Amino acid sequence: MTSRARTLVGFAVVAVALAFAPNIQEAFEFPRFYLIFLFTMYFWISQASSWNILTGYSGYFSFGQGAFYGVGVYTVGVLVVKQGWSFMAALPVAGLLAGLTGLFLGLVVFRVRRLTGEIFALTTLAIAFVLASLARLSTFIDGGTGIFTTGTPLPEYLGEFTTAAYRLTLAVALITVVVAYLIHDSRLGWGLFAIRDDEPVAEGLGVPTFRYKMVALGANALLAGLMGGVWALQLGFVTVDEVFNIRVPLFVILMSVLGGMQHWMGPVIGAVIITTLTDRLNSAGLADVNQIIIGGMLVVLALAVREGVYVRMRRRWLTTAITFFGVLGLTTVLDLNDSLISDFAYAMVATVVVMLVPDRVWALLRDVFRRSEPVEEQTEAEDLTRTGP
Amino acid sequence: MELLAQGIVSGILAGGLYALMSIGISLSWGALKIINLAHFAFVLFSAYIVYQLTVSFEIDPLLMVLVVVPLFFLVGVLVQMFFHLAKVDEFKSLIVTFGLFIILQSLMQTIWSADFRRIGPALNTYETESFFIGGIAFQLPQLAAFIVALLIAGGMWLIFTRTYFGKAVRAVAQDPAMARAFGIDSRRVAVILSGLATAFSALAGVFIAIGQSMFPELAVAWFGIVFPIVILGGLGNSLGTLVAGVIIGVAAGISSVLWGPLSAPLVTFLILIVALLFRPEGLITKRSIA
Repeated sequence: MTSRARTLVGFAVVAVALAFAPNIQEAFEFPRFYLIFLFTMYFWISQASSWNILTGYSGYFSFGQGAFYGVGVYTVGVLVVKQGWSFMAALPVAGLLAGLTGLFLGLVVFRVRRLTGEIFALTTLAIAFVLASLARLSTFIDGGTGIFTTGTPLPEYLGEFTTAAYRLTLAVALITVVVAYLIHDSRLGWGLFAIRDDEPVAEGLGVPTFRYKMVALGANALLAGLMGGVWALQLGFVTVDEVFNIRVPLFVILMSVLGGMQHWMGPVIGAVIITTLTDRLNSAGLADVNQIIIGGMLVVLALAVREGVYVRMRRRWLTTAITFFGVLGLTTVLDLNDSLISDFAYAMVATVVVMLVPDRVWALLRDVFRRSEPVEEQTEAEDLTRTGP
Repeated sequence: MELLAQGIVSGILAGGLYALMSIGISLSWGALKIINLAHFAFVLFSAYIVYQLTVSFEIDPLLMVLVVVPLFFLVGVLVQMFFHLAKVDEFKSLIVTFGLFIILQSLMQTIWSADFRRIGPALNTYETESFFIGGIAFQLPQLAAFIVALLIAGGMWLIFTRTYFGKAVRAVAQDPAMARAFGIDSRRVAVILSGLATAFSALAGVFIAIGQSMFPELAVAWFGIVFPIVILGGLGNSLGTLVAGVIIGVAAGISSVLWGPLSAPLVTFLILIVALLFRPEGLITKRSIA
């Protein structure tokens, strides 16, 4: 079995196991809150992973995640609530419309000859605001009144509402991560990495840069819109201010910067950590200072960890395992917290802090502890992602 | 017809204020290769400071220019020193300044809440003052902002074309390493330029404070207007930025009259798309320093 087939089987096993979480929750009567926490996490895993397909792989910085997500939310809101479509029919349209929005942007901006990356970044920053005005202006879309999505009928075979929402978010998150993984180890992925490293050289070597960028942007927008469509139900009441704000792009950028933008696993790890932490911050009543902390983390992480914590976790896997499970075991056994999520949050914070230790300091520490044994030199190259065949 | 003429005049004057907000971003992008998203927050922060000082001490809000401009010059200098220290490149500058923007915006939200704030007619006599030419109103705050924008754009143009400092800035913008080889202290040039750019943002904030209501989300709303102006005007080209500001201002003014104020962002974005399609190298490139 090839390594790709093995990974895909791994995805399938994890997916099936997670799909039965609602049944386990019911059987053992865990609090329902855990399910909601989990599908919030799936939402962010999907958003961060889809963002990373474009920005992480190709290096084109996008602030447009909120716009694509918003197109998805509003498509489902308008088609299902106002036009009476069935949810399952509206969902693909949500993805499609978001994808088209992305392709339109790409068609305009990728043709620009100078400063393409910067102009792309700022255009994506502006588009969410423009779409927000459009939604406010058009009574067909919103007209400033908002749309109630509570009580939207879901297919019955998915179970009752929370269970159905859980399985839908899980499915979309899984699709996103699999797509991100498949692109990462493909000709398209290598082409995108080449664009990130040096676009003119990639172009000269025969990488169809325009087509590859469009595919990556289209995939990003489509997947973001698909998850937006699912999330429309979870929102309950869809408003322009709630949907087209800076939150979605801010969080996906933070998650990917934290986890690492070069590997498909980076955004997943980042999303898991950030979702857990913000959940704890909110439940501790720190929702107000939340954004300040998030912004501060973004500045520090962008400057401190260039490659993200995932690459370092792999390099220092033993330390990672000891720190994470050590802290997790300690907090669980001592029963320090009222919630299992808090235990995980402490373990994650401890692991991230250990991973933030710079490589130079790390090597120094390792030498101190292993003075007697021969130090096994690990090369940087083996840990970096592949950039070409 | 008169309404339309009023829309155009208001648009031209508003364009001056937009240009004042854009010049700082254009300078730091064109000459320093740093896209400073925090500038949007600087403008609003300066406006809030003017508001707070005026309300607390009951003094003339225009006098606050003497406070916020030097203060934000210092902020710009410190920010640039920090960027040098942390070796922030163009790509990282987007993430880092976006983080700064979020921090500043949340700070404003925490300090001044999400409510609308305005200085009020008792302390701010400028807001309601206007004079008429042929039935068309010229509101004083907008007119003042326009004149200041004109002076700054012209002044920066003179500095860039006529002085040693301007030559040094252009050299640094083209090739920092080569500029250093020719004896230009590129760090000092960058620090001064960043201070100037931030000071211009603070100046724009003063006119925001005396001209309109403030709320934290305003900083986000400016993205859609300021960015097209910066692109159309040409990076680092202060006169071009002023012209682009007036164009965008007039377009937004006319569309507000015809289809209501909500349509303005759609029209400005449309202009940007058309401009990118037909003039991908920018509207006015001749004098761009980048």
